[in-house]
Amino acid sequence: MADSDQNSAQFSAAVDEYLTRAYNGDRRRKLLESGGWEPGFAADLADLGWYALAVPESHGGLGAPLSELGPVFMQFGRHLVVGPLLEDTLLPAMLQRPDDWNSAPAVAASVETGVPLALVDPGVTTDWADDLGSVTLSEQQLTGTVNAVRFARQASLLVVVAEADTGSAVCLVDPTDPGVRIEDLDSADPTTEFARVVLSGVRADGVSPVGPADNELVARIRSWARLLIACELSGVAQRSLEHTVEYLTQREQFDRPIGSFQAIKHIAADMHARSAGLNNLCLASLATADRASVAELDMLAATAKAHAAEAAVRVCEDAIQLHGGMGFTTESEVSWYYKHALALRGWYGDETELRQRIGAALLTSDSTADSDNSARDVVPNEPERQK
Amino acid sequence: MTTQVESLDSFRTRARAWLAEAEPPRVPLDLDGRFEVLRQWQKSLFEAGWIGIAWSKEAGGQGLSHMHQLVFVEELVRARAPQPIGLIGLDVVGPSIDLYGSDWQRTELLPRLLSGDDIWCQGFSEPSAGSDLASLRTRAVVDGDDFVVSGQKVWTSWAHMAQWCALLVRTDTSVRKQAGISYLLVDMSSPGITTSPIEQMTGDREFCEVFFDEVRVPRQNLLGSLNEGWSIAMHTLGTERAGATLRRRVECEVALDDAVAQLRQHGANGPEADRRARAAIGRAHVALRVLDAQTRQTTARLIADAGPTPVDSVDKLLLNEIEQVVFSEIAGLLGPLRAVPGSRPHGLQSERWTHEHLYSRAASIYGGTSQIQRNIIAERLLGLPRG
Repeated sequence: MADSDQNSAQFSAAVDEYLTRAYNGDRRRKLLESGGWEPGFAADLADLGWYALAVPESHGGLGAPLSELGPVFMQFGRHLVVGPLLEDTLLPAMLQRPDDWNSAPAVAASVETGVPLALVDPGVTTDWADDLGSVTLSEQQLTGTVNAVRFARQASLLVVVAEADTGSAVCLVDPTDPGVRIEDLDSADPTTEFARVVLSGVRADGVSPVGPADNELVARIRSWARLLIACELSGVAQRSLEHTVEYLTQREQFDRPIGSFQAIKHIAADMHARSAGLNNLCLASLATADRASVAELDMLAATAKAHAAEAAVRVCEDAIQLHGGMGFTTESEVSWYYKHALALRGWYGDETELRQRIGAALLTSDSTADSDNSARDVVPNEPERQK
Repeated sequence: MTTQVESLDSFRTRARAWLAEAEPPRVPLDLDGRFEVLRQWQKSLFEAGWIGIAWSKEAGGQGLSHMHQLVFVEELVRARAPQPIGLIGLDVVGPSIDLYGSDWQRTELLPRLLSGDDIWCQGFSEPSAGSDLASLRTRAVVDGDDFVVSGQKVWTSWAHMAQWCALLVRTDTSVRKQAGISYLLVDMSSPGITTSPIEQMTGDREFCEVFFDEVRVPRQNLLGSLNEGWSIAMHTLGTERAGATLRRRVECEVALDDAVAQLRQHGANGPEADRRARAAIGRAHVALRVLDAQTRQTTARLIADAGPTPVDSVDKLLLNEIEQVVFSEIAGLLGPLRAVPGSRPHGLQSERWTHEHLYSRAASIYGGTSQIQRNIIAERLLGLPRG
């Protein structure tokens, strides 16, 4: 465990170091202004091995547990990194688990070269399910439309989550298949490209066996997406706070730094408490996520994402307020962070949607809500100590 | 010589088993009855070895760690058992006497404090010294072998029932306000002391005003050195704060579990009502997971014996907000029937949740207001300039 913590810290420190050096100032601004996609940058990250972190060693990856992606996503959030990071780090790791799935060549290629995977999942929201669309699998044919898919235009492989008679299925689809239509869409998130994916009777060769095991895979993909987005939002909040504190000590009005005014200080203190609380929630969730059952993972990821959706957006809004007029311009960093936070807020559920999900689990699930206190002991189990 | 300290797990098991047998008392609503029942409860706990867990054996305690103490508090709350009546003595005054007291004070006062024979109250706040505690004005003048004390204290819990009072008094008016304060141990049966209970909005009356009219206090009742009172009070208040945060966290968890159990037992109420319940319980659950994650850091600091830090203010600020979220969400489910104490809307006990909700409003006031915590966070953690 200690080794793993140490590796994780080293990896995220290396990510931070690289991004600080190679992804700042003009380069980042150019990428943010041009829609969030540059093949060269994606290839650079592939060269660095970032997509291989959680891929099993048997598939050429580094074999880290998925939870080690968490601190890396905090760095992605802090540096406002563009691109299909979620899809490219998470999907290869989940699809290549030896017992789960036969790996597809396109997945391995994506890890090595940075050509993206796209996750065509109508389940990114329940409250807007009708607006987002649906995909069904029937007689090995995929049919349906998903109205917002990240980086579908750039993808070398579509990972499609479809509803079948007996549950959910995960299908691999070649985007050049004649039955696939991809329509470009405008994006309001400076880090992300969106497209509409229309599937008309696509024959799904890579369809996995349909059944409980696949329902479980779908549930785990969605939970990990929630948890990693929560981590990214935590990084977004943290950096927005750092920018703000720096500004408050420099900007002067009435012959004093504005950070000396109590009205300003109290907002900054609330930002800090929110940011710290979110960071600690993410770390605590990651600490148990690898060993969690599907139901436990669902609950802890929904909880982290529900809080992240609310807390990070609040921190970003306070950051803009404390930057005054500057905060409202594209000159200021904090406005970019805010737009990204707003886009992530609803991806895999905003706080309103997820609180319903959590409340339903507590109020109607078969397992009693308070059966297991040990997960919530103030004092963790520890080896006996000498005095 | 090294002694094997009982492991936390084994300690927890032992505590749980004892509490399951012990039949915690039902606490009557009237003040006198409540006081007596809770004092008797402290006596039972003391006789079974559950009082002064983290105190040294020399002082009459169990010689275990702060973590053992917290585990016991956790189990006490989960068993729906009340806290012992003498918490102020056990958590704040006693440790100060143990640390700063004379041999006479320790041998004379601590045993009865532990057993519950003596109940202590804390005479710190005054009508004009709340958040600005150091500006307190109750005076003590040396006269022969005595101090002569005159002034007024307020928010003194159980003063009308207590045998002893830990009293902060001004003993020097010529120096910086913090440097002229002394800490006296005052026998509440001394002539010249009158107490008057204050009714709170919850209907409880354990708070008092206390008036001192030329009360004679022997010099041997001075704790520590003359004019050292401020640092003694700050040290023990700071140490107690982390423990109090952890205790309150468990109380909130148990409260939410109880609310969920009441709602589940009652069953469905129709789609709109159920939607409200899910949203409320979901939000309260998320809030408590944040507090849980935050207090894991607190626990780590306690284990490391790190002493008071400005990070305690982040814990306290989050606790205040989260406690208020939890109880306002639960009480919000009472709807218009919160005004009818005997009612059971959606299965919820109206009078309990109304009482808890009102009490939660005090969270951001006692133990340092949320505004004071924000000042500390802004200046000491974020480094913003003093105003």
